[in-house]
Amino acid sequence: MARTKAYVASVGFTKVAEHWESSILDLAVEAALKALKGVPKLSPQQLFVGNMFSSAGASQEHMGALVASALGLEGIPAFKVESACSSGASAFNVAYSLVKSGAIDSALVVGVEKMRDLEPEAVSQALAMAESAEYTQFVGATFAALNGLLARHYMERMDVTRDELSALPVIDHANAVAAEHAQFRRAITPEIVARSGMVADPLRLFDCAPVGDGAAAVVLVNDSGASHARKAKMAEVAGGRVSTARFSVYEREDMLDFTATKAAFREAMKQAGLSPQKVDFVEVHDAFSVVGALSLEAMGFSKKGMGSKDAKAGKYGPKSDLPVNTFGGLKARGHPVGATGVYQIAEAYLQLTGQAGGNQVEGAEYGVTQNVGGVDTTAAVHVFRGAE
Amino acid sequence: MHVMKSNLPAAFRGYGAYVPYYRLPTSEIARIWKGGGSGPNVEKAVASMDEDTVTMAIEASRHAVKMAGTDSLGAIFVGTESKPYAVKPTSTIVAQALGQHHTLAADLEFACKAGTEAIQVITGLVGSGMIQNGLAIGMDTAQGRPGDDLEYTAASGGAAFVIGRNDKRAIAKIECSTSFVSDTGDFWRRSHERYPRHLSRFTGEPAYFFHIESSVKTLFAETGHKPADFQYAVFHQPNPRFPVEVATRLGFTMDQIKVGLLNPMIGNTYAGSSPIGLAAVFDEAKPGDKILLASFGSGAGSDAFCIEVLDGITRTRGINPTVKSMIEHGVRIDYSTYSKFRGKFH
Amino acid sequence: MAIQYWRIRDRYYRLIGSRCTKCGAESFPPVYRCRKCGSYEIKDAEMPKTGRILTYTILHEPMPGFEAQAPFPLAIVKLANGATVLTQIVDSPEESVKTGAKVRATLRRAKVDGDSGQIVYGYKFIVEP
Repeated sequence: MARTKAYVASVGFTKVAEHWESSILDLAVEAALKALKGVPKLSPQQLFVGNMFSSAGASQEHMGALVASALGLEGIPAFKVESACSSGASAFNVAYSLVKSGAIDSALVVGVEKMRDLEPEAVSQALAMAESAEYTQFVGATFAALNGLLARHYMERMDVTRDELSALPVIDHANAVAAEHAQFRRAITPEIVARSGMVADPLRLFDCAPVGDGAAAVVLVNDSGASHARKAKMAEVAGGRVSTARFSVYEREDMLDFTATKAAFREAMKQAGLSPQKVDFVEVHDAFSVVGALSLEAMGFSKKGMGSKDAKAGKYGPKSDLPVNTFGGLKARGHPVGATGVYQIAEAYLQLTGQAGGNQVEGAEYGVTQNVGGVDTTAAVHVFRGAE
Repeated sequence: MHVMKSNLPAAFRGYGAYVPYYRLPTSEIARIWKGGGSGPNVEKAVASMDEDTVTMAIEASRHAVKMAGTDSLGAIFVGTESKPYAVKPTSTIVAQALGQHHTLAADLEFACKAGTEAIQVITGLVGSGMIQNGLAIGMDTAQGRPGDDLEYTAASGGAAFVIGRNDKRAIAKIECSTSFVSDTGDFWRRSHERYPRHLSRFTGEPAYFFHIESSVKTLFAETGHKPADFQYAVFHQPNPRFPVEVATRLGFTMDQIKVGLLNPMIGNTYAGSSPIGLAAVFDEAKPGDKILLASFGSGAGSDAFCIEVLDGITRTRGINPTVKSMIEHGVRIDYSTYSKFRGKFH
Repeated sequence: MAIQYWRIRDRYYRLIGSRCTKCGAESFPPVYRCRKCGSYEIKDAEMPKTGRILTYTILHEPMPGFEAQAPFPLAIVKLANGATVLTQIVDSPEESVKTGAKVRATLRRAKVDGDSGQIVYGYKFIVEP
């Protein structure tokens, strides 16, 4: 089977919000149908669902078959792929590998998460399952607490100030104003961030991605599968890689070194034959402001210790050379955890096919999406190219 | 013959105390319940919401075992009236934490004298040659009914003792002991009740004083010892006044009891009360000093001991924090914080 | 729930981690494969009970079961043997909890399963006064 090119041929997603009226399946189906509408002649050969905690959040497992059957796609192989908050891009990566290798010609990837049916403490508990039950959850450390430790370490070691850390959330919110599917569409200031409630000192409410529900879906095809999608606009998947790091952040040589993101980015860029200067925008995983900063450093867009400082200096704004989180990122567009990776990919597709509306990055040809599970424990990085 | 002497000489080989970090001034309790004033003691020691008799017993035991330098304990007895489980021994958790499995582990209950009972039982096991070393613990997170007078004094803390052969490393020998009991219900707690009840003034003469005087006078009569023979006397201390009164009646002076008298600063640690007083005395005693230890447990009974300090005590200085340093290292909390803590441990 | 913690109670009570018999590197939590040299020849080893705070946070929004203690400090402690442990800090004045502070281990209630379930005990750390 020859290796061909792989493309995102169509996308669909729900608004990120507290969807009181929609179940996890409702959301998945809504996004999937929107994506399938863009390729009416295509029936995907396999289905991959990216999701982190359908069991804790909805008492539901067996998500692959559930969504396939709801879409009337019984018969096709259907799977749930889980890697905490990188489930979405991980599901995409598995589908991409199969489609690119020619083993299959098309796939439907759906990222979905239903968080809001749980009380806030229960959401914390579910998210904490990204980390060790016996040694991290056991001591009462929430996922926010781990990132709080990381944030203090970052600020103390690299001399980063409160306002510098706030820069990325400010950019996110500014970008989300024009984004119809974003959860929060109000611009904020560094003062608002600095005065928001303390979550895990030094991280405050506005350093942290919100809780929300949502689903995003993309259709992947290769050159053979593309014949069913001739009329659709397409974005080529130029490269993609998932990498993992030592499981717990506190057992690493240098906690500020996001080795998983670094390795995944390097490999994905190598596959794409691309140098970092050619990247036109980055969708970065800022579940917490500090993670966004460290991710940008790991990908080499900022030097070590400079991620937040560069953001404050304007390096990543919408009109800069390298716009970041063009629809609001995790902080403002939202972070329905297992779905996020697919939202990022769908947004990259919109940019590269000129469909980003008020959020359009002019002349975008190459985009990178970076999706992380745990504290850079799994990183899934993909590189996309406008197919024209 | 009512005084008990072991066939083989038994001695203390290590000791360790535990006083939790938090202090509640009795003026705080009085402020809430009486609009002002204070209780008979100045402050009491309060366990944090994540502490209980198990955690405190393990901390004290680790100190005692470190001092004794033994890695094998043939018996572990915990005397307490605040076991976290009505059914599931505290002593097996202590044993696990100390890496001990081939051990006789048991929990004892006899109100405030359960700790000294543990000492007697371990002494018997050692003195009969059945075991080499054993661990006796008296520890409590005592609870008083909110608003009741006992709330002033009901406190958390206690001590642990390793008892074994009397050799060069021994720090104090247990010369003899005796026990005196009667069915006297001065203070009690029914099975499913949360807080104990008591009969106020009845807890004095017919209970505390009668039983302590009985056990100590028996000890004096059968051994020929007199108060002047002792450098230190430690009595159970439910409040600051009773131990002073019983000491006076028995012929002891303030000088003899002051080192072991901790109630004014930490309150009544129940099964830990006379044990921690003994630990405080061990912190200062010199070879050759004699100590009279007399506990009292409601229900009721008293254990009296004659203890003689040995040369080995001199090597124990600095190994563990002293009782005094633990008492001084504390932070005051208010009544609302105390209520929050109290809801979490019992 | 109780069984998952019962099987590692010695690790919780005595801070028993692991030591690589090939290169001597010690870890807590224990590892299956040495992080330094890659060997699988790993044995249990009791960790030292003292160390220093590498970094810390104060958690204001806890998970169920930890509400009563909030806000509380969590720290990554570097033990005297180089192993790094994630742990709660207790009984320490706010200003004493800082990067570089010396700490020692203690044993506390870690999780309580309501009023009728079991109590799980585990390590926490105190800042040395």
